Amino acid sequence: MKKKVLSVLLACAMTISLAACGNSADTAAPAPADTASETKTEEAAPAEEAVEESGALAELVDGKFADTRHITVEIYDRNNDGGTDPTNNMYTDYIKKGMLDKYNVEVEYVAVPRWTEVEEINNLLAGGSAPDICVTYSYPTVLTYANMGGIVDLKDYAEEFKSVTPNLWDFIGEEGIFWDKDPKTGSLWAIEGRRVETQKSVTFVRQDWLDKLGLKAPTTTEEFHDMLVAFKDNASELLGADASKMVPFSISYDVGWRATNLIASFQDPKMTDKERYVNGFDDRYATQNGTKEAVQLLNKWYNEGLLWKDFPLYPSGDSTEDDMIKAGYVGCFEHNWDYVFRNGEDSINSNLRRNVGEDAKFVAIDPFEDKNGGHSKWMYSAFGTDRKIFFPSTNDEPLASFLYLDFISSPEVLKYLQAGDEGVTHEVLESGAIQLIAATGDPIQNSGKNIDYTLTCNGTWYGDEKTAALSLAYGYGDQDPELVDGASKAAFAEGMYPKNVNVGEIAAEAEVGDTLTAKRDEMFDNAVVASEADFDSVWDSYMADYLSAGGQAIMDERAEKWAEYFGDSDMLP
Amino acid sequence: MAKEKAVKGAKAPLNKVYLKRYWQLYALLFLPLLYLIVFKYLPMWYVMIAFKKYSIVQSIWEMPWAKNHGFEYFIKAFKSNDFLRALKNTITLNLKDLIFGFPVPIIFALILNELRLKRFKKTVQTITYMPHFLSWVIIYGLALQLFAPSTGFVNLLLNKMGLESVPFLNSSATWVKTYIGLGIWQSFGWNSIIYLAAIAGVSPELYEAASVDGAGRFQKMWHITLPGIKPTIVVLLIMALGNIIGSGFDRPFAMQNKLVMDAAEVLATYVYKVGIKGLQFSLTTAVGLFQSLVNVFFLLSANFLSRKLGERGIW
Repeated sequence: MKKKVLSVLLACAMTISLAACGNSADTAAPAPADTASETKTEEAAPAEEAVEESGALAELVDGKFADTRHITVEIYDRNNDGGTDPTNNMYTDYIKKGMLDKYNVEVEYVAVPRWTEVEEINNLLAGGSAPDICVTYSYPTVLTYANMGGIVDLKDYAEEFKSVTPNLWDFIGEEGIFWDKDPKTGSLWAIEGRRVETQKSVTFVRQDWLDKLGLKAPTTTEEFHDMLVAFKDNASELLGADASKMVPFSISYDVGWRATNLIASFQDPKMTDKERYVNGFDDRYATQNGTKEAVQLLNKWYNEGLLWKDFPLYPSGDSTEDDMIKAGYVGCFEHNWDYVFRNGEDSINSNLRRNVGEDAKFVAIDPFEDKNGGHSKWMYSAFGTDRKIFFPSTNDEPLASFLYLDFISSPEVLKYLQAGDEGVTHEVLESGAIQLIAATGDPIQNSGKNIDYTLTCNGTWYGDEKTAALSLAYGYGDQDPELVDGASKAAFAEGMYPKNVNVGEIAAEAEVGDTLTAKRDEMFDNAVVASEADFDSVWDSYMADYLSAGGQAIMDERAEKWAEYFGDSDMLP
Repeated sequence: MAKEKAVKGAKAPLNKVYLKRYWQLYALLFLPLLYLIVFKYLPMWYVMIAFKKYSIVQSIWEMPWAKNHGFEYFIKAFKSNDFLRALKNTITLNLKDLIFGFPVPIIFALILNELRLKRFKKTVQTITYMPHFLSWVIIYGLALQLFAPSTGFVNLLLNKMGLESVPFLNSSATWVKTYIGLGIWQSFGWNSIIYLAAIAGVSPELYEAASVDGAGRFQKMWHITLPGIKPTIVVLLIMALGNIIGSGFDRPFAMQNKLVMDAAEVLATYVYKVGIKGLQFSLTTAVGLFQSLVNVFFLLSANFLSRKLGERGIW
């Protein structure tokens, strides 16, 4: 009897251990091996692949797969209060149903936390379980994956599937599809999403404070400084008992972003394309000419007590600064052009109205004059600054995946995803403009204009350019359309668009992106809070560290590549 | 002695007898063992990544060996200023933790032991345990409320008294003090438990004998209590030394800010940023391996020394 029990137990134990081994082996070793061999064949025999794929296109009968296909798609999980399950809600149902009806493709969403997306995708790729359609904002990350053989080369597919993806070609066009194409090898690792709203950053100021002090909106950097001083000197008039909490100008640990227009105003507008490109790796202009002077000005203001004193202590995602702004302690700050209007009832301007009074509001100004006396500032370019869509090498449904991209780029789908149902999430005004209504429950959008679902589109579009232009100011629920319009105009004023310099991969940029970003922030933060006498030495020592940690290698390689493609010319052809 | 010999002599049959008689106990042991094997020992194979060029799509066998006979990434790490900075900071912070933090729970246990009023003792104990259960993110949140230069309570108080703000969190030198101080605050109550247990194990007869001989409180503490808990102290000290270049991740990570990175970046956060966020798994596995080797070295030497000096080691 005892023996029997023991043997049964041992048998059980054995199966458990076998199962366990099987599991660990499945996830760890063989799966990546399989994918690796797949990529190898893909790279080794492009000709064969092409022949096979024309077969792939023939799989469509009347534009539809004969047998049901299944694809998985990455979706950001923002975990917002009152939001819906990002993988299963009214909008995903719409896409799933549409894809099934139109192409006989089943779509499944895979949620990835928004703020740790890169780590998450790293792990999914390493485990061979990444979604078929992946997305990230960082092109160096895509290149890192590509160099490890983890991504499908899209160069043949893009052309081959052109006839069945007209919406994609209409909306993103050749420019966006081939934006990242390697000029030498022709490899295409990612397709660029399109930024429809190219406004970047504006400066917001408390209109009611200006009125109270009888000031005009500043139009020069000097007037801006005088305004900050006036805010500080009149703190007790403006804030009463809370005067000690006054922050004339607020920035965050990400100084380079939160003063980006100020920094841009110190750059020479006549800078050559070459200089701009060679120093162009960092999107906060760490090594560009003029940046040091701009940060030095911030340092001066900091020591005059005009900046938020505690700014470097709060990490990214912390709401302390927003809370101060909403409570009415902050005079002005620079941010995304629509920052004070975002989130409807919980927006900064709505909070101010509740907390401070009817007339309390932020309006956009354009105060920083450049070396030519203008107000030049940077825009986002339509491509290259938004998300990059790529297929991991585990994707064995490239055609279905392309059809998905086509589907979400079609005008009616874009309109539905951005505006939802009429009467529920939007209404159409007399002018034809679309006015969004703040929604609750299932129709709520987890991200502004459902940007997380419209992978190929970032910004107000509603299917066509005309409606988009008409509706831009009505996209923020109960926010005053005039203020929104003003902010948009301020952001556009004298805007400059970055040019695309495509010289292929810069090897030095791989792997160091995060490190350099962290070093840049350290440099800016420490330089701003240094004493005025120490500014130079602090800046120089951090800059030396930044350059030696890879910044210089990037600049050298960029200069080399420039010479290779454009010779002695200082400007792009 | 005799018994030991007997066991040795009849080893095989006895083992069988034990296995047969207590097989239920061995069966119970099976799952924990399996856990250890699957989650602690099998992953150790992947330490090979330190010597190979990591790729997300290849199996560990397919990855090519790294250059310089596989030591490419070790060389790269030691050439990197960031790694050296993290190494230096890890050692500095851990040493300071050891010097300032290690004696505190011992002293605290000694003091508690002298208290007569039971209820008061229990209350103090409970209150000092509490911070142990707070996550470091919350502790940093509290620290910001208290110590931020312009809005922190303590600094506001100082300003009201006409004094300058103290840069508790925003200057490297003072940040280190805050870091050590908060670490002690968080853990001394909890860490004193083991000493209190050891003190409870000291024979009361010794104290009585000492009283008869006319020893005072401090003499009793010095000559009876401390020697009584010395083995415990030594074991904990060895364990602490075994972690001299290791460290928790959450404490430094939660307390870091951009102004103090030159003192606050430690190996654990460096590995997270460069390895996991930057996808440089080979480099950071090399760093992790180095870290483990140094820790094992310290652990062994501390153990060896302690046995040489006539104390009990941990094995």
